[in-house]
Amino acid sequence: MKISKRNSTIYRHACSWGLLISLCAGLNGCKKLYNLPDEKEFLSVNLTYDGKSFYPILGRTSLMGTVNTDHSTTPLHFEIINPRFGDGRPYTDLFQVKPVYQWITRYDGTEKNLEEIEAKRKLVNRPLFEVDSTGTFILWNSSTNELIPPRSKDSIDLVQNVRYFDLKVSNSGGSTVVKDFMILPWRVQDYEPYSDKNPYNGEVAPDPQDPKNPKKQSYIWPAYMTNIYGESSNQLLRTNDEFKDLVVYIRRFDGGNGHNLRFVFWDKDKKPINPENFNETNWAELVHGFNIKKTPTYVQYDVAYPIPLTNYPTKYTNGSSAKIDFGYSRIGFGGTLVTAGFGLNFKIFTKGDWEIVFHFQRENPRFDNE
Amino acid sequence: MQLKIFYSRFILLALCMLLSVGAFAQAIIMSGKVTDDKGRALAGVTVRFGKTSREVTSTNSSGAFSVTVSAGTSIAFRLIGYEGVSMTARADRTVTVRMKELDNQMDEVVVRGYVKRPRETTTGASTKISGKEIQDIPAANVENLLQGKVAGLNIQVNTGAPGFRGSTQIRGLSTISVSGSGDQSFLTPTSPLYVIDGVPMDADRANELGLSQQGPGISPLSLIPPEDIESIEVLKDAQATSLYGSLAAYGVIIINTKRGNSEVPRVRYTGNFFLKTPPKLRETLGGNLERRLKLMQIYGNALSQLDLDQISQTPMLSDSLNAYYNNSTNWQDLFYATTYNQTHNVAIDGGNQKLNYKANLNYYNENGIIKNTGFDRYMANMRFEYYPNEKFRFTAQVNASLGSKSKGNGLGILQSGVATNGTFSTLLPGPSFYLASSGYNSALQTKNDNSSKSIKPFIEASYEFLSGLRATTTVSYESTSDNENTFTPAAANGQFAQVYAYYGRYNSLYNRNSINYSHTFNEKHTVFFNLFNEIRTLEKQANAALQARTPNDQFEGPLGFDGYFSKGGGLLRRGFGKERGLSFAIAGTYDYMKRYVVDLSYRRDGSSQNGFGNLYTKNPAVGFRWNAYHEEFLKEVDWINLLSLRTSWGVNVMPNSTLERVYGKYDITGSYNDKIGIGINYEQIPNPNLKPTTTTQYNLGLDLALFNNRFEMTYDTYYKKVDNILFEERLSSSLGFEKVNSNSAAIANYGHELSLMFRPWTEGRFTMSIGANGAYNKDVLLKLPEHYGGQFVRWENIDKYKQHIVFRVGTSTMSNYMLLNRGVYSTDADVPVDPATGRRYRMANGTEFQAGDPIIADLDGNYILDENDYARTGNSQPLITGGMQLNFNYNHETLGSFGLNIYASYTAKRTILNNALAERLQLMSDPYGDKAVVPLDDINMWMKPGDVAKYPYAYDFKRYANINPFRMDQDLWAEDGSYFKLNSVTLSYMFTKNAARRYGMERLRVFVSAENLNTFSKYSGPNPENVTSMGRDGSGGYPVPRQYNVGVNIDF
Repeated sequence: MKISKRNSTIYRHACSWGLLISLCAGLNGCKKLYNLPDEKEFLSVNLTYDGKSFYPILGRTSLMGTVNTDHSTTPLHFEIINPRFGDGRPYTDLFQVKPVYQWITRYDGTEKNLEEIEAKRKLVNRPLFEVDSTGTFILWNSSTNELIPPRSKDSIDLVQNVRYFDLKVSNSGGSTVVKDFMILPWRVQDYEPYSDKNPYNGEVAPDPQDPKNPKKQSYIWPAYMTNIYGESSNQLLRTNDEFKDLVVYIRRFDGGNGHNLRFVFWDKDKKPINPENFNETNWAELVHGFNIKKTPTYVQYDVAYPIPLTNYPTKYTNGSSAKIDFGYSRIGFGGTLVTAGFGLNFKIFTKGDWEIVFHFQRENPRFDNE
Repeated sequence: MQLKIFYSRFILLALCMLLSVGAFAQAIIMSGKVTDDKGRALAGVTVRFGKTSREVTSTNSSGAFSVTVSAGTSIAFRLIGYEGVSMTARADRTVTVRMKELDNQMDEVVVRGYVKRPRETTTGASTKISGKEIQDIPAANVENLLQGKVAGLNIQVNTGAPGFRGSTQIRGLSTISVSGSGDQSFLTPTSPLYVIDGVPMDADRANELGLSQQGPGISPLSLIPPEDIESIEVLKDAQATSLYGSLAAYGVIIINTKRGNSEVPRVRYTGNFFLKTPPKLRETLGGNLERRLKLMQIYGNALSQLDLDQISQTPMLSDSLNAYYNNSTNWQDLFYATTYNQTHNVAIDGGNQKLNYKANLNYYNENGIIKNTGFDRYMANMRFEYYPNEKFRFTAQVNASLGSKSKGNGLGILQSGVATNGTFSTLLPGPSFYLASSGYNSALQTKNDNSSKSIKPFIEASYEFLSGLRATTTVSYESTSDNENTFTPAAANGQFAQVYAYYGRYNSLYNRNSINYSHTFNEKHTVFFNLFNEIRTLEKQANAALQARTPNDQFEGPLGFDGYFSKGGGLLRRGFGKERGLSFAIAGTYDYMKRYVVDLSYRRDGSSQNGFGNLYTKNPAVGFRWNAYHEEFLKEVDWINLLSLRTSWGVNVMPNSTLERVYGKYDITGSYNDKIGIGINYEQIPNPNLKPTTTTQYNLGLDLALFNNRFEMTYDTYYKKVDNILFEERLSSSLGFEKVNSNSAAIANYGHELSLMFRPWTEGRFTMSIGANGAYNKDVLLKLPEHYGGQFVRWENIDKYKQHIVFRVGTSTMSNYMLLNRGVYSTDADVPVDPATGRRYRMANGTEFQAGDPIIADLDGNYILDENDYARTGNSQPLITGGMQLNFNYNHETLGSFGLNIYASYTAKRTILNNALAERLQLMSDPYGDKAVVPLDDINMWMKPGDVAKYPYAYDFKRYANINPFRMDQDLWAEDGSYFKLNSVTLSYMFTKNAARRYGMERLRVFVSAENLNTFSKYSGPNPENVTSMGRDGSGGYPVPRQYNVGVNIDF
């Protein structure tokens, strides 16, 4: 009797322990026990890009590609794989590492000097072409015609010269490869509007109205011109498809400090007009430049390139371009005050000494009072 | 009147029977009294004779009995819940029989497949609670009283609307179907099947569509008075539920009403007078304070002269002579009120073992705390049972009820009209003759009258052909008619009065025939078989008519309405239904000396709504039980009173098909060759292969009672897989059809349930019991239709909310898909700058973030806040639910007895979205507008650069349009919805018998109780429970009132 009782006690203990252990196992090992699927991030099989052919322009920072993640769990990891030409040869030139500017804090147009601007950005080494953490492709402005051969000057692109690559996208939910992206860069276009140049070869573009005439060329037009009367004809000067009374040249000049921007005004004889004639111009806030230097032949600033620095809307910009406005006033017929003006929206991508020349080609503007 | 005659005849009949028993008198007379071990008289104890155990009589309400027997006959006294007593008859007129109360839950009788079974031979998981546990608290809906009392039964009283139900779930999620949008997102209710007095009832009938229901929306459960309930049993695992077939896929709750149980007819009255008080409402700044705050807000944040000039164009801010300038209207006060309510219940019962009867009459009156809402219940439940001999039994019952309700102008659960009006500026003049806001009129002047009338006769007859073989047939019929009449006065409806009427009828006929057999061989092997079939027919049809632009407020139709805007006719969607159902079930139980029990059951359900491919669903189940405490080696261990292990497996199959889903919908599409053409409706592709949702459940349970049942424990763990869940797949626009109903989703629920009961003192004057229960349920989405690749986002289509829901395989099913808030930008420099573009993190519209704006995680890293920054966060379904109880009792022979019962419940680990707070802060968006302003002092808000805060700067009204700092789709509003709620506290005092008799009463008991006393929670909103089943705390909800009650029980 006693033995049986002891036995039963042992049995009981074993029972209760067994139970306890099974309960614990039940609490911890449910996932395994019930063969439940793992909790993981979602990577959609439908992840795709809105467009897979890119035609960026070298020499400027271009963001390309809109990924449609189909609500895959972000952040995603993107990696360019299998870079190849159309005939299968691999290429590496696109991934050369060069220093580029990256912003540290926001540029907002209130900086008082160049140092202040430079303090807001820093030089870092990046590949010329890369994909960032958002799946956006970046061609940095460190890219040049020399580093990356652009599309051919004769506008015939052979498939063996076209660059292709694939993109591997992954998160903890798995990975997928988006295939056959194409990139075919244009050669460097230093400034914008680039309407005076042929984008294929960078040479002077023919006049769109008369393309066969080698004596004529295409020009950059001012964004607007108002109330500018010709000195001799007393007619409104205009620039349109027919007339080219005021044209603009954006070109490099020699003798600057490497980051100068100069504004020059020419009369019909290509003689400089004194900028003081444009008496309504707000020279201090014309561009976000410093150390203004006014001479009878030009006005010059020290600026930071590219122009504009970002697309943040400031008083120096119009949309994503820099804007400049020149004006002058005079007494017109009947003693009315006539305010004349013209302006230009432009961008300059390459650092250097640049001058923007406004050339009154046909007739000089009338500055005198009536 | 007829009823009275009916009953008086029965009483007469009963008396005749009693006399006839006396007429057999021979030999000796033995009489006396039966009491419990504390000396209290026991009524209804059966007295049986000899070996045949023939019932002879039973004790009356004072416990007295008298039998005439031949000397030496053995007499047995039995009463459910007490240990039986046997004695040899002797000629003694002062016999005192003491019966010991059994606390052991194994002595309970439970119901399986409509048949009573001793609990120790059942293998399923279930919890039974007695009607006593839900007394003393007046309630419109008895379901609310079950909250926290059963482990695994998750009840959220998420609306205070009178006559409406909260949400009820047994063992987690069974659906992924969400209806509605924004604050009104509701999980499609998956309520358990209610079996009331043996008749199954669909509790979701009134709110199948969640909120946007038509008709009165009176839950059938609201028509059952708690006073009439004898017991409630909750069946949880598939073994217990599979015999109830496809309707039982979400669990079963069995409610039995009281039976006649007194030889002397007695009248029991329960009356309650209760007070309902609205919870704390939103604090608002009134009058001058509001004006000053608005001005301060404008002066401090204006960006241009225009903003300042606008002050002078807003007279209620600037013009001291303007009529609005000096107002201070408390808008919320116009809608909410403390209300006085009452309920009365009279129960009359009597009878003996051969014939007993009972009638229960109930009146319940509740006025909603939102004015112009309320609920009244009138109910009569009459039942009589006639057992002329051992073999034949006959039961008849009639239940007639009328529920009447006013929803105001809201939908009942939602009172968005009231919510909108409550946010009006205090500067606006209050309602008056000359100027009354249409919202106010609409809420308070709308005449809304809803009623649900129902009559349910029920007849059951059974006959025992051979010993142990019994055949039973049951017929019940239910006829319900639902009406809604609404008259909206012109001032409430854009200067045009309108009349709306809804009429719905619902009829169902139910028949069940069963044969059951039980036999014990060699006193060791017991077998039990139960074979039954069920036939159901159901018909419903609803009609609605709207007469728009009726002539005036005095003339409520039917003439003179505008035919163009009026409409009417039958309601097809959910309004129409016709179903024939046929089911067969067989169940078998075998036990060896009550130690080892095997349960097998199988049921087939056929319905005319199923597609021909799946006409019958099959519900099999298997269960085992080992009653270790019956083993020899444990019998000697006297401190173990109960030790049982249970395990079960079972399947519940619930059809998804409707005629529409299987065969498609067809419209008249014009004529062809002078013949009417009928073509398919392109909304959905018919899917004849639609599979039924299959719920497979495994359960492992342990029952334990120790130390003379002082300590009781029940533990269950389960795994429930819900497969073939209905999933509406949107189709590509090139396919012509909009959607297809498929079956490719599945959820798993697994969890643990634990109930503990501790009774430190069970004898003597002072008794006490403490109980606690808890359930942990985790749900995991197992699969989605293949082509989604593992994730599906249910986009919220209301722009204001954008609180999307994401279903991702492998994670908790109901997760929010929203932006992640990381705080508030302390200074401008904290806003990250895109190194490539030099721009700050910004909105897609270009507005850059600045100090005081919310930090929203830029998950994809593109420095633009867009759709790719949404992430899966939170789980709107609670992980842990449970409750606690505490019962004290003090008995004194001369002082009477005092009782104290406290019930509490809790919910933990649940994400709720505090949309109400978001809306409160958004009130600050327009200081020129006509919205109220709220004090923000208690909010941890950014005020000046350098502040580290939780909430963005609310006063800068110019930023709302651009960056919307209080946008709804950020997890700033996601909070932990854990709470501990003091459900009820009841203090009762029962007069001693003598004291009661002095007033001519058998029993007199008075009690005070309070319900919904307090909710303890870290949640910043008013009530973490008063949220939708998707965890949205919208301000449009109906607040849950606090309730104070004084009640009395009187027995005559």
